[in-house]
Amino acid sequence: MGFSEKIRSGKFVITAEISPPKGTDTEMMLKDASFIKDVVDAVNITDNQRAVMRMSPLVACCILGQEGYETIMHLTCRDRNRLALQSELLGACALGINNILVMSGDHPAKGDHEGAKPVYDMDSVQLLGLIQKLNRGYDFSGNRLESRTDLCAGAVANMETNELALIKLKKKIKMGARFIQTQAVFDAGSFSMFVAEISDIGFRRSRIIAGIIPLKSEKSARFLNKNIAGIKIPEDIIHKMQTARNPKVAGMEIAAGLIEELRDMCGGIHIMPIGNHENTKAILEMAGII
Amino acid sequence: MIISRQKKFREILRNLKEQNIFIIGCGKCATRLHVGGEPEVLEMEKGLKRAGKTIAGWTVLSSACSIPSWKEVLSQNPAIRESDALLVMSCGTGVAAISRFADIVYPALDTESLGGFSSDEIMEEQCNMCGECTVWMYGGICPIAQCAKGLLNGPCGGAVEGKCELDERPCAWDAIYEKLKKLGKLEYLEIIHEPRNHAKKLRGK
Repeated sequence: MGFSEKIRSGKFVITAEISPPKGTDTEMMLKDASFIKDVVDAVNITDNQRAVMRMSPLVACCILGQEGYETIMHLTCRDRNRLALQSELLGACALGINNILVMSGDHPAKGDHEGAKPVYDMDSVQLLGLIQKLNRGYDFSGNRLESRTDLCAGAVANMETNELALIKLKKKIKMGARFIQTQAVFDAGSFSMFVAEISDIGFRRSRIIAGIIPLKSEKSARFLNKNIAGIKIPEDIIHKMQTARNPKVAGMEIAAGLIEELRDMCGGIHIMPIGNHENTKAILEMAGII
Repeated sequence: MIISRQKKFREILRNLKEQNIFIIGCGKCATRLHVGGEPEVLEMEKGLKRAGKTIAGWTVLSSACSIPSWKEVLSQNPAIRESDALLVMSCGTGVAAISRFADIVYPALDTESLGGFSSDEIMEEQCNMCGECTVWMYGGICPIAQCAKGLLNGPCGGAVEGKCELDERPCAWDAIYEKLKKLGKLEYLEIIHEPRNHAKKLRGK
């Protein structure tokens, strides 16, 4: 059963994130993917993540697809106008890449090409609407396509339950987001509040995919807290990392514990290790999920 | 009001190859912003002289972007004819207007945005001149001009503690939310906005 079918039928999904190479050699990316080959339902491929230039996610998804992986292609509004977004989506579909995760994208000034022109011709809500149109067989301007797309589009959310963030999330759902992937969760309590809030606006909790970042050290935990929007690591977790004899193992244990807590509250989990995936399988085993 | 700032003096000097320079300031926005009024023109004159240039003369036009008659400017400032180049301390529109009449024109300012001036406060980036004003739906705060990504349907989720992911500026969407809440018009936030029609700005010529 493929990723979109599992999402539709409410089956628990496991996804994991991989960055395309910053270069032309895909060996490391394929090695990273090999760690999780039979463990995850789909591999997310980031799109110039944090506005740092890397290989096109379309190409990376295609290469992984040839190796038998199902992929979820990230698509940001930062680098492409509405024409480029549509050609990218038609191309993805032709290559059998049907899962798309839509987001605005970090501002270019945050990355390694500070002076780049930010595009943002569309926002994530509008891009989701565009994908619905393509699925119905029309382009943005209403011209009929020679053949329609069959895209399963999802969106991202921080676990904020403030009114403004929820209104935007509601718009994403209205415009056809079939799944919602959250920023990394470190507190099951606030995650359950978030799930309750979005269930209230009519979104099935079985379609929420909770983000998991296995921590590596106290320092990296503090860095995430300070620099990444939507991540809030509670002090007791930071303290655990600080006092751990082996911080890497402690980070894995914390991740596994969170997965165990979250699994009944949502429809899946999404692992985002910073670096590689050598420990992902072990974490999922520790959590009793595989 | 057009918001502009002075270029670095050494950058001006690097471009300015001509010897005999006439300086033109602007009596409107550049004067108010203290980047192209009389004191700044005089300061520029001093600097250029120190750098070995000859100053043919200077003037502050009442507004550099609207010149009723170049003949009149010339008759009041005959030294312009003797100069090799004009250095214009106004926004880009002023430079463009003067360039229609004069041959060699250098800008001394960098034009940044369409802003305003209210209660002694300079308001930067108030309008992006998109060709279709919908600012009422956003409580008078334009997300195209004030949100770093120009998002129309809500915040990006990149703000940390109310600060834009780009820099220290507060998230424009927080301000929009607060204003609409105060007005009892939060329902405006529910409107799903289509992507902008950029043709409205690019056509019509």
